[in-house]
Amino acid sequence: MDSDKILEEIQEIFRDILDQQNLVIHPETNADEVEDWDSLNHIQLVVAIEKHFKMRFTSKEIQSWKNVGEMIICIKEKMV
Amino acid sequence: MTFKKGDYFSEQFIVSSEIHERFIDLFKDKNPLHTDESFAIANKFESRVMHGNILNGFISYFVGECLPSKNIIIHSQDIVYKKPVYLNDRLRLNVTVENIYESVHAVEFKFEFINTGLKLVAKGKFQIGLLV
Repeated sequence: MDSDKILEEIQEIFRDILDQQNLVIHPETNADEVEDWDSLNHIQLVVAIEKHFKMRFTSKEIQSWKNVGEMIICIKEKMV
Repeated sequence: MTFKKGDYFSEQFIVSSEIHERFIDLFKDKNPLHTDESFAIANKFESRVMHGNILNGFISYFVGECLPSKNIIIHSQDIVYKKPVYLNDRLRLNVTVENIYESVHAVEFKFEFINTGLKLVAKGKFQIGLLV
């Protein structure tokens, strides 16, 4: 799966978890720029992404993400 | 991690008149299905149907008091009601760890409430976070 497709799929997850049906995210998007992307919603986002892609992250991986793009890179690496 | 996938817990509850009355006192839901015997029977129930959210209160007690850690918070809770619960019903709550999300210190449980007739009366899931 390429990065654009992953972005498209996690955008749907973001929209669902954050209740923002028109939300558009980009690789550069970070938590400071998105309303309601707080620590509790971050947990729900990670859980939903782990479920959706049937993968598990480590705490270290999650803490290293600076933006959506780094999240996508991590997802892509786990798909290999 | 305090929990592992497949961990199982069980607890018994009784929907007593005290619980039923206090629930009505607190939340003011006096719908006749819960309070009027003849109304309930006219609608093909055996008796007054207990409020489904009493079961959510049992889940709250279970999470807060029965799990092996107090350092927890409920993230989410879903419940589906399958059969009516009546006054003084004894319910067995069975809870199993379904998923662990170590990255965010979260644990997902599935649960079921079974009555003494071994009927499934409700089932669902809840997710907790471990406060670290």
